[in-house]
Amino acid sequence: MNKLTVLATLALASALTGTASAQADLSGTVTVWSWDVAAKALQSTVPSFNKKYPNVKVNVVDLGNQNTYDRGLAGCAAGGTDLPDVYSIENNEAEVFWARFPNCFTDLNTLGADKLAAQFPAFKWTELMAGGKRYAMPWDSGPVAVFYRRDLYQQAGINPAAIKTWDDFIAAGRKLNTKFAGKVKMGTVGNGKDDEWFRMLANQNGCFYFNTAGTEITVNQPGCVKALDTVKKLYDAQVVTTGDWGGQITNIKAGKTASAMYGAWYEGTIRTNAPELSGKWGVYPMPASKPGGVRAANLGGSALSIPDSSKNKAAAYAFLQNALATTGGQVTMLKSEGLVPSLLSASKDPYVAQGQAYWGNQKIWQTILDTLGDVPQARGTQFFQDARQVVLVTQSDFIGGKYKTAQEALDAAARRIASATGLPVAK
Amino acid sequence: MTSLPARTARRPRVPVAPYLFILPYLLIFASFWAWPIVSSFLMSFRDSRLGPSAPLGLSNWSRLLSDESFRTALQNTLVILAIQVPLMLTLATALAVALNSRLLRAQGLFRFAFFAPLVVGTVAYSAVFRLLFNTDYGMVNRALTGLGLPAVDWLNQPVPAMTVIILAMTWRWTGYNAIILLAGLQGIREDVYEAASLDGATPAQQFWRITLPLLRPSLLFCLVLSVIGTLQLFTESSLITGSGPGNATLTLGTYLYQQGFQSFNFGYSSAIAYAVAALAAVFSAVQLRLFGRDG
Repeated sequence: MNKLTVLATLALASALTGTASAQADLSGTVTVWSWDVAAKALQSTVPSFNKKYPNVKVNVVDLGNQNTYDRGLAGCAAGGTDLPDVYSIENNEAEVFWARFPNCFTDLNTLGADKLAAQFPAFKWTELMAGGKRYAMPWDSGPVAVFYRRDLYQQAGINPAAIKTWDDFIAAGRKLNTKFAGKVKMGTVGNGKDDEWFRMLANQNGCFYFNTAGTEITVNQPGCVKALDTVKKLYDAQVVTTGDWGGQITNIKAGKTASAMYGAWYEGTIRTNAPELSGKWGVYPMPASKPGGVRAANLGGSALSIPDSSKNKAAAYAFLQNALATTGGQVTMLKSEGLVPSLLSASKDPYVAQGQAYWGNQKIWQTILDTLGDVPQARGTQFFQDARQVVLVTQSDFIGGKYKTAQEALDAAARRIASATGLPVAK
Repeated sequence: MTSLPARTARRPRVPVAPYLFILPYLLIFASFWAWPIVSSFLMSFRDSRLGPSAPLGLSNWSRLLSDESFRTALQNTLVILAIQVPLMLTLATALAVALNSRLLRAQGLFRFAFFAPLVVGTVAYSAVFRLLFNTDYGMVNRALTGLGLPAVDWLNQPVPAMTVIILAMTWRWTGYNAIILLAGLQGIREDVYEAASLDGATPAQQFWRITLPLLRPSLLFCLVLSVIGTLQLFTESSLITGSGPGNATLTLGTYLYQQGFQSFNFGYSSAIAYAVAALAAVFSAVQLRLFGRDG
């Protein structure tokens, strides 16, 4: 054994024992804030985490979505008091935090996240980085799909494979109305409470509140006008009903809606809320605006960050790594709650290619993940909430008949967003 | 005895001890009341969103004047004020007179029953109202359809949503005002009524000519408090209707919260807060002037 080998062996040994002792050293409690199925998904990764780090106790708290956001902002405003060790952030809203509280969250690069960057698609990082810092790790994405009741469609004589455009979707809704005397609708729209349908349709048409550089307001561009028009058409044809998050779930359980359109993470919501409907559901891609048009969009998708005030950053980062940067962690969350992985290697997991019993043995993950490549870009910017508040009111006013055309409604919305944010309206 | 004048002479003009005793309170008042009030006024001139607060002069204030959402919130708040406060005070007066009647048995029980809504947690009460007025499964619509009337989409239509807010507030606050008015009623001397009866005044005349005028200070108190409370209205609009549908039940309170804690625009929400405070001051001054004088 020459000198060099000895040195190398020693270095390797010390590196190994170093890592091992660092792992064994990790202890204490990691508190995680999240919401609904996302919280349950994180909970499902705890056993595999505890196998590696038996001395760390993970405490996942389900605060609900809005409450997580509100308490996070309040905590950051108070200089980081009362924040957890791991905090969930929706990509759309992430820039609010980085722009207003650049010191509230840990730069994950200091913990080694730059080494993991290439394992995630580049677009997932854009909203998570600012000023050269990497504030959060990509978690899931929300490719949009339509979930439908096979039995109800069949009874009304609707062939889901034939629904290719929004006009087809409306025609199917008319069949439902005829068959069930108007008692079963094609879906629930959160009109006046949220503008998710507008966002999904606008994204599909390559439009959003702001341009992707985040420098101009684009909410009155043709793609968005088309989106708002379609939402009104759905209402005018009486093929959708109105309800909030809870109302939508109630409608699904009561069989008052035969479909639901959302980000793919809604799979877990349906499956866990209505286990009695197992085998009766299926999935098809969202209809296009015109024949042959784009049948993909993204809604939601989140990330995990570590508040700078965390007393247990090493353990918190280990939790992030196990849940998000391993195929095992991501697929566990896909299995338990239907969270669509952002980790590139996870989509090649054999589980994705399997038929799912709840969905009538359809290979739904293949169907859903196949749309990912077609999703047009959209960026929330730090003014996401301002814009959302304006657009959800505009949508409900437009459906209520306050504006003559969608263009007129969105021109007004663009002016209001401009006065709230100071950004210019794109020409 | 000789030492007394000397001691008096040495006593300082301004006594220090009392101020030392209230000093802890003054310090707490200054740091947790006075300073935030001043600080939020200063903040109303700044933009708290784009990085470090850059001074902006009057732009938050000029935005107030041109902001449609603020106008909607103001309008909604005034509509609630104009309908709910008179309705509630009329009901409360009737209730107080009934509770004061010697004909009524178990007065204590009734007083408790009407006061009880105030003790219920606001979140719980809001949840109950949401359930009661649920379009598909709520008790109110069940009752309406049971009577052969059409069901109303309470929480998803502008006017019904506003109606729910007004009903909820009336349910919650009528008993509270009735108890204050009852105290006012019990302060009216019995012999005034005896004299009126002897002069042949009917019960209706007694109510309009004696009860109401003598109850005026209590009514004024209730009115001023209710108006200020309504201007700050937040709970019902936020928890029952979520200020929707759209902005149909947005109030000044919920708009302030949205701007402050959802858009994180503290500067602008401070300006809204000062606008609300100014409105409350003006309204109170007008009421005291109109109804506060004798004669």
